[in-house]
Amino acid sequence: MAAKVKQLPSRGGTPAEKVYLIEIFKGMGITLRHFLRNLWDNSNLYVRHYPEVQPNIPAHWRGRHRLLTHSDGTPKCVACFMCQTNCPANCIMIKAGERTDGITEKMPVSFTIDLAECIYCGYCVEACPEDAIRMDTGIYAFTSSNREEMKIEMDEMLSLKGGYTEEEYQKGLEDE
Amino acid sequence: MTTLDIVMVIVRVSISAFVPLCFLAVCVTMERRVAGFVQDRSGPNRAGIYGFRAGGLVQNLADGIKLAFKEDIISEHVEHKFLYVLAPIISMAAAIISFALIPFADTLVLDGKAYVMQGIPWDTGILWFLAVTGFSVYGIILAGWSSTNKYSLLGALRSASQVISYEIPMGLAVISLLIVYGSINLSDIARFQGQNWLGFIPMWGIFLQPLAAVIFIVAAFAECNRTPFDLAEGESELVAGFHLEYSAMKFAVFFMGEYVAMFASSAVIVTLFFGGYNIPFFSTDFLIRNIKPVAFVMLVILPVFMFYFAKWIRRNNRSQYPRENDPREAEATVYIRCFWILIGVIEVFLLAILAFAQPDTAAAHLLVALMQICTFLLKVTLMLFVYVWVRWTIPRFRYDQLQILGWQKLLPLALLNIFVTGAIVVALG
Amino acid sequence: MYIDTLFSIFALTAVAGSLGLVLFRHPMRSALCLAVTMISLAGIYALLSAKLIFLLQLIVYAGAVTALIVFIIMFLNLREKDLPEENERFTYFIGGAVVLIPVAWFMIKVMKSIPEVKNSIVGNGFGSIKEVGQMLFTNWLVPFEIISLLLLVTLIGAVVLAGIRRESND
Ligand code: SF4
Ligand code: SF4
Repeated sequence: MAAKVKQLPSRGGTPAEKVYLIEIFKGMGITLRHFLRNLWDNSNLYVRHYPEVQPNIPAHWRGRHRLLTHSDGTPKCVACFMCQTNCPANCIMIKAGERTDGITEKMPVSFTIDLAECIYCGYCVEACPEDAIRMDTGIYAFTSSNREEMKIEMDEMLSLKGGYTEEEYQKGLEDE
Repeated sequence: MTTLDIVMVIVRVSISAFVPLCFLAVCVTMERRVAGFVQDRSGPNRAGIYGFRAGGLVQNLADGIKLAFKEDIISEHVEHKFLYVLAPIISMAAAIISFALIPFADTLVLDGKAYVMQGIPWDTGILWFLAVTGFSVYGIILAGWSSTNKYSLLGALRSASQVISYEIPMGLAVISLLIVYGSINLSDIARFQGQNWLGFIPMWGIFLQPLAAVIFIVAAFAECNRTPFDLAEGESELVAGFHLEYSAMKFAVFFMGEYVAMFASSAVIVTLFFGGYNIPFFSTDFLIRNIKPVAFVMLVILPVFMFYFAKWIRRNNRSQYPRENDPREAEATVYIRCFWILIGVIEVFLLAILAFAQPDTAAAHLLVALMQICTFLLKVTLMLFVYVWVRWTIPRFRYDQLQILGWQKLLPLALLNIFVTGAIVVALG
Repeated sequence: MYIDTLFSIFALTAVAGSLGLVLFRHPMRSALCLAVTMISLAGIYALLSAKLIFLLQLIVYAGAVTALIVFIIMFLNLREKDLPEENERFTYFIGGAVVLIPVAWFMIKVMKSIPEVKNSIVGNGFGSIKEVGQMLFTNWLVPFEIISLLLLVTLIGAVVLAGIRRESND
């Protein structure tokens, strides 16, 4: 795609502009207008009162990870290591084990994501052949006072629910 | 020395020492909230004590406590530890004493004795200001140099050379003013501006010497290292400039020194160009002679003003989202009550004056002095607002542009102004 | 009484400052000592009720000249290792002191021979800006103008010197 070049007329050449002061007063007029408008009534501010008023998270927003389950509650993940291989931040750690219930041959014994390292790129979701991992929880605020707590384990990820319905999620993927 | 003398000394010194420090809170809050409002956001308004946020003032308290209890680090590589510690002290001290010679009210006559309302009752006025602000360069240079850090050193180089070069146009602008006022005593200058021109234009410096006013104000901005001349801080290229290595309370002292210097230079600008403590159109004599009508007008105006102020508090001090039993409305009610009580107390005093005081008594003099102090502080606050307003409007200059402006534009203009003023003053006799 | 105390304080800091100026090894410290001396001298002028000289001392010497010296030392950014070895420092100190002793002795003699006068408040407005200005522009007009000419010559000289340097650089 060729870059679009937009030519702006060059400003600042006229004598009136060279005196600076006039232009400075014009600029100060603009800022004063904003200031007075907001001072008069601060409901004019373009801010969200955040902790009380929550933002609206769209379906294709990449939030915290969750692992999907079959209808019987066992993980869909087959421990193929696709996500781990693909992860640019190297923050997925999977240990594979044998699966005995006959659905597949392998399953993860432990599945850890270090969210302090994760860059929320979503490659793990794209790489997964089984649709076993998704980032559709809509959770965006995740803090902790030490590094260990930033690692989330398999059980926790399995227990998380998606924040959207299947249709919304699919549509979100298309939007992306 | 009578008791009254001693009391007056204490009052004057404490006003001139503590008012700049108290205005720190005003300056910092104003800086942040005005910045917010100019950019259509709200600025710090969350910190509160039991839900009382005082429009962001509590944030200062939190920041102050944080800075005071932070670990005070002096890096290993600082060789000259004594000079390193001395630097913020010089900055702050120079800023505070530069306010000492600025009159905040007209000479107060009590018991037939006149008290000059300045921290130090000297008549050397504006020269003292120039001398003392010159010392702040030492603070900057020492800080930058003793930090042993190339960014600090570059920042100090920039800001020191900027302060030194802008002192010259500033001094020259002052000279043309002195020709007009015929005195260097700031009290005389303020009194001169109490006169009226043709009966209705106040004889303020800005009308008599518009060019000097522009030069002086620009130079004062540069002396305070404020935007658009804050390239000493230039956070994009120099991280923070000369106070980069300072932490905790030592940084806070630099920070406070900067705001106190801003306060002092606003006060000087007000005194030189905007009539100082004078209430426009009303001279001190007039007010003292007509103390009863003045008290009556105040009596009427204050509640009216408070009524609209209360409305404004109601409108703005509430949660801007649906909320049941909004605690901020209760908070606003408390504020409004406090303000009404304050107004009530003032009204009682005014009534007492209206009932008992005769013109030209101590009570009249005191009331006028108080009114003038309030006027002075109001004007200074407006000037501080201009400082903040300019900071959030104009982008930073480049270093060569700064020096070109100082030496090639302001300096010749100031010289020209001196000649023209001198010629006119001589011609008018 | 308290004038005497103030005088002793200022005099002592002035002497201490000038001692520091010579004794400190690092130029930045010496320059700051110079500033201390300048400020104490200003204090002594103020005690003599010479207001204008007091302010000029503060603005010009303590504020501008010393600040420029400090500024340039900062510019050079001297570190401990850049300073020259001064092994024979103390020999020079002692030699200088020996040379100065007769001079000091002479000065003390002169001081003693001055008859003691009661110091009293001098005439109204002495040393204030107006008086000094009137004096300068009436009695001392010619010397004053000659000095300003001298300053002009220095200014032009500085500009010319700077100009020559630039041409040879190109
Ligand atoms: S979002 Fe990206 S960085 Fe995070 S775990 Fe997935 S692949 Fe790794
Ligand atoms: S790519 Fe999918 S199936 Fe493979 S290990 Fe990762 S989550 Fe499991």
